[in-house]
Amino acid sequence: MSGGVTIWRCANCRTGYFPEPLLCPRCHGGKFDVDRVHEAVVEEISIIRHMIGQENWTPRRIANVLTSSGPRMTVGLRDESGPGATIELFEEGTAPFGRAKK
Amino acid sequence: MKPKTIAVVGAAETTRMGRIPDMSVIGLHADAALNALADCGLKPSDIDGVATAGASPVDLAHYLGITPTYADGTSVGGCSFMLHVRHAAAAINEGLCNTVLITHGESGRSRVGAGRFGGSASSLAGQFEMPYGPSGPPTMFTIPVLRYMKTYGVTEEDLAMVAVVQREWAAKNPHAVYRAPLTMEEYLAAPLVADPLSRYDCVPVVAGAQAIIVARPDRAPKGRPGVRVRAHRASYNYDNQEGDGLQTGISTFAAALWQEAGVRPDDIDVASIYDDYPTMVLAQANDLGLIPGNDLARFCRVTIGEKRFPVNTWGGMLSAGQPGGHAGGLNGISEAVLQLQHRAGERQVKDARLAVTTGYGMTMYRYGGTAAAAILERVE
Repeated sequence: MSGGVTIWRCANCRTGYFPEPLLCPRCHGGKFDVDRVHEAVVEEISIIRHMIGQENWTPRRIANVLTSSGPRMTVGLRDESGPGATIELFEEGTAPFGRAKK
Repeated sequence: MKPKTIAVVGAAETTRMGRIPDMSVIGLHADAALNALADCGLKPSDIDGVATAGASPVDLAHYLGITPTYADGTSVGGCSFMLHVRHAAAAINEGLCNTVLITHGESGRSRVGAGRFGGSASSLAGQFEMPYGPSGPPTMFTIPVLRYMKTYGVTEEDLAMVAVVQREWAAKNPHAVYRAPLTMEEYLAAPLVADPLSRYDCVPVVAGAQAIIVARPDRAPKGRPGVRVRAHRASYNYDNQEGDGLQTGISTFAAALWQEAGVRPDDIDVASIYDDYPTMVLAQANDLGLIPGNDLARFCRVTIGEKRFPVNTWGGMLSAGQPGGHAGGLNGISEAVLQLQHRAGERQVKDARLAVTTGYGMTMYRYGGTAAAAILERVE
């Protein structure tokens, strides 16, 4: 687990992306700088209550968030933060997560 | 594609739908294929093009003893079969083949030969979404659905009208898996799968298959009206998954589609809109220009709820079922053909002459990345 979520910024037009593309969709630049985004505002929240093929599923919260650096992304939400809340972002493996800002 | 040069001349589904534990996936494809051939009076030896998703077109050709000069294995989710029609039209016009069999079948409910549920760990979703829970469209599409409801003021009751009225159509389709009436109260009381999607927002998975035959219009059986492709457009990865999911790729080509067809949204008699979820019916209908003023709620309550504008007249995937995976895109085309040939039985839309069909799918990361639409017309 680490603070913030990695995004990739086109070295040419500076647009940020998650996940990393091979080429920038805006300018087709092929070089990206690694950046990190630490905060986001929650826009929508869903709770996954059932999962096909899973018998002992524990409901999980996911959220669509607008990051402070621009890109929208979907994250796993680790607490009861609601729409409009500012959350801090973190990674587990390759996946983005969020929780209430401390 | 060249307008009006290609027709769908035959359409059929498997002899049975629902649970079919005694048939393999390729067997389902073949059963629907033979039924479609019989439907238009053709023999397997007449087929020189095969297109399918969920199975290899070459496997299917081998199984049916066909040696085609054209094969298409385009596999982009629920949009695959709309694209097979598009590609078949181009191939026929280019002289690559003359008569194309398009099939899709899966043992979605019986799960004959099926693997485990869940996507590949190396996919975009597998790397960046599955670790925190989502797996498959019923969990990933929740976000754009919520956004739709918020942006357009669509309520659960509005969305219910899509499912409730499609169930009415399904009652007239002997092959639909759900035929009993669905009330508003039942819809609203259904258990949530992933907020805000409840049981009746999600398609029932069935075993079965569909097949159509695409050829020049003169291959249609004598005495039966042909169904010509008047216009066809497609879009792939239109916003690079950067948007908010409120629009589909249809928004990029709708104006060109209508212009190519030479008709307007008001002219449409029957619509087959890919209905993996009620909200996606609205998203595509809105992008097509079928919803004046982007008033999605009114479209649900009045256009569908009161006026019973014919959308997904076989019951849609929401009531007739989806054979899993790539699924339903072929059902809508097949139904539009039956409607335009005036062969839809109890659910026939009177004097139907023009239909719009859509496909939407290929859930990449966040939402679907492929969309297509066609205008089909009855030709006497």
